[in-house]
Amino acid sequence: MAVLLRRLAGHVARGFVMILVVTTISFLIIRSVPGDPLLARYQKLVEQGMAPDAAQRAVEALYGFTPKGGLWEQYLDYMGGLAHLDLGQSLSVPGTGVSTVLFSAAKWTLIPVLAGTLLSFLVGVVMGVYAAIKRTGVLGDLLAISGSLLHGVPQYVLALLLGAIFTTLIPILPAGGTADIVIDPGFTADYIGSLVQHATLPVVTYALAGYGGWILAMKSSVVTVLGDDFILAAELRGMKRSIIFRYVARNAILPLFTILALSLGLLFGGSIFIERIFNYPGLGLMLIDSINNRDYSLMGGAFLLITTAVVVANIAADLLYTVIDPRVRSGGEAA
Amino acid sequence: MAPEQSPPGVRIRGLTVVYRTPAGELPAVSGVDLDLAPGTITGVVGESGSGKSTLALSLLNAVQPPGRIAAGSVEIDGLGDVVALGGEGLRRARGRHVGYVFQAAQNSLNPLKTVGKQVLDLGRSHGVEDPRGLLADARDLLGRMGLDGARVLDSYQHELSGGMRQRVGIMLALVLNARLVVLDEPTTALDMITQATILRIVREVHAERGLTTLVITHDLGVVAEVADRLAVMYGGRLAEQGPTREVLAGPRHPYTRGLLGAIPRLVGDIGEARALPGRPPTLAGVPADGCVFRERCPLRMDVCETGRPPVVVSGSRSAACHAVRDDEGDRPAVAAATGEDQA
Repeated sequence: MAVLLRRLAGHVARGFVMILVVTTISFLIIRSVPGDPLLARYQKLVEQGMAPDAAQRAVEALYGFTPKGGLWEQYLDYMGGLAHLDLGQSLSVPGTGVSTVLFSAAKWTLIPVLAGTLLSFLVGVVMGVYAAIKRTGVLGDLLAISGSLLHGVPQYVLALLLGAIFTTLIPILPAGGTADIVIDPGFTADYIGSLVQHATLPVVTYALAGYGGWILAMKSSVVTVLGDDFILAAELRGMKRSIIFRYVARNAILPLFTILALSLGLLFGGSIFIERIFNYPGLGLMLIDSINNRDYSLMGGAFLLITTAVVVANIAADLLYTVIDPRVRSGGEAA
Repeated sequence: MAPEQSPPGVRIRGLTVVYRTPAGELPAVSGVDLDLAPGTITGVVGESGSGKSTLALSLLNAVQPPGRIAAGSVEIDGLGDVVALGGEGLRRARGRHVGYVFQAAQNSLNPLKTVGKQVLDLGRSHGVEDPRGLLADARDLLGRMGLDGARVLDSYQHELSGGMRQRVGIMLALVLNARLVVLDEPTTALDMITQATILRIVREVHAERGLTTLVITHDLGVVAEVADRLAVMYGGRLAEQGPTREVLAGPRHPYTRGLLGAIPRLVGDIGEARALPGRPPTLAGVPADGCVFRERCPLRMDVCETGRPPVVVSGSRSAACHAVRDDEGDRPAVAAATGEDQA
């Protein structure tokens, strides 16, 4: 237990430094993007046919301020805000806190991506075991080919393909959005049903896009474990097949947990392509919009969220290892 | 504990094991006849690739693909012909009737489970009704071998040293009261002191539990230490077998002589040790006809090219060599070689 806590403390300290560094770098990168939020707004208004003078006044009235001070002052301001867990105000959605915008976008990314990732992990791992066991047969070949194929097809091609099939050729699923707009949001069967219906295509796309990687990784991992001495030893001791299967599966799945944890961390980035194709207002779409609008604080908030998620996922993966792999556990004791 | 019955005898007849390769099926073990007398320790010696491990696996009908037993039988008392066994019957025989101990350098334990849990898995696989009793047996066996049984049962593989792992391997082979035990290179990769300890344990446990034991090794010293009988393998065939002392004192087959001649003496000039010239045949390089050893043999004759060497039996010893005569005792018939050149 003490080992676990010491390990955790070390990780948290390192993770904190990491977040600080990444935040600083992304702050600098964001500020060096050409243009600024006022200019972006101004240009948009002018494009919409407003006279330049009027547009200038409108922009100033809208924000009530102009970004002030040098880069260093802005940086200190920003970090000071972060220290109080204040991500600032969104510039492109006036009057709304960055955390509110992030939160409302996050739910449309996290739930579908999480569902898709876990679905593809489960199916991919199980199929990977079969592909490894039947690797000399037709079934194994077919499974491996299905993995390589799906792994090779880009996400957006899958998304377009699925969209074309299930919304146009066989129109059984809605083409986009999060729910039918005629249904009032609420905790009703109709609304939830509509949510599920709208989420189906994105989830299936995420699942199919991830499946190939999982089946290939699991297959090679199982093949390696099958060649290990202790599996032959278990066979020669007359162990039951079911027990040997558990030995293989548990040893083979270990390395995949790292990949799973990392991909769960990255899911906070959302998927720009899939969200755009299915018009799903998640983090990916929000990030693109914020970049187009030069919404400094929203961009910063999004990057901070992604960084924190990856760091936390790493820590979780490492702690998970100390629980499931006895070799890692005692490695900590020796250190 | 061990049931009160005599230890099993084993009769291997005409055993041939082939491996499938791109060049066709090649024999790793070819026409081997070997008896393991009940209650004895038999040592099988050979170089890498001589087929000795394949022979050991054949006792459990466990030759791994692409290998297969192509011919012959392995009769074990109380079990019948193992080659004819398959499926559940074979699985139950493994571990229960025949214990197999892996090479010490191999990791024969699941790294994610404690030794005790793996003992329980073994019990569950073989329908042991009293898991506590099984754990107690395991603890006693480990204690008998000089380990802290309770602590070892609570340990993972990576927490044990090589010598400890090997004793755990022996425990797992014996805990279900198997009376026939196969040890494949039991001391390889262990330091000298641990080697001696393991060999002492093998001898003592063999005697105490009334086992029939087969030890596979490349180390003549190991055989000299533990084995009652010695069988020398070369190129997948038995070159010579007999009581250990007699074979070591008066080897008949030129290969056995070469092996013994290559051992440096503790006393005397190291230059007296003569290495065998050449190298053992590879699976593909084993000649189809004649004697497999002829390329390296100092007694090579014309007949060795074509005729498979006859097994010359005298008393409890036998040697497979054209140059050995059953009537001439200890010396190969070098002189007789000249008159022996028919096709």
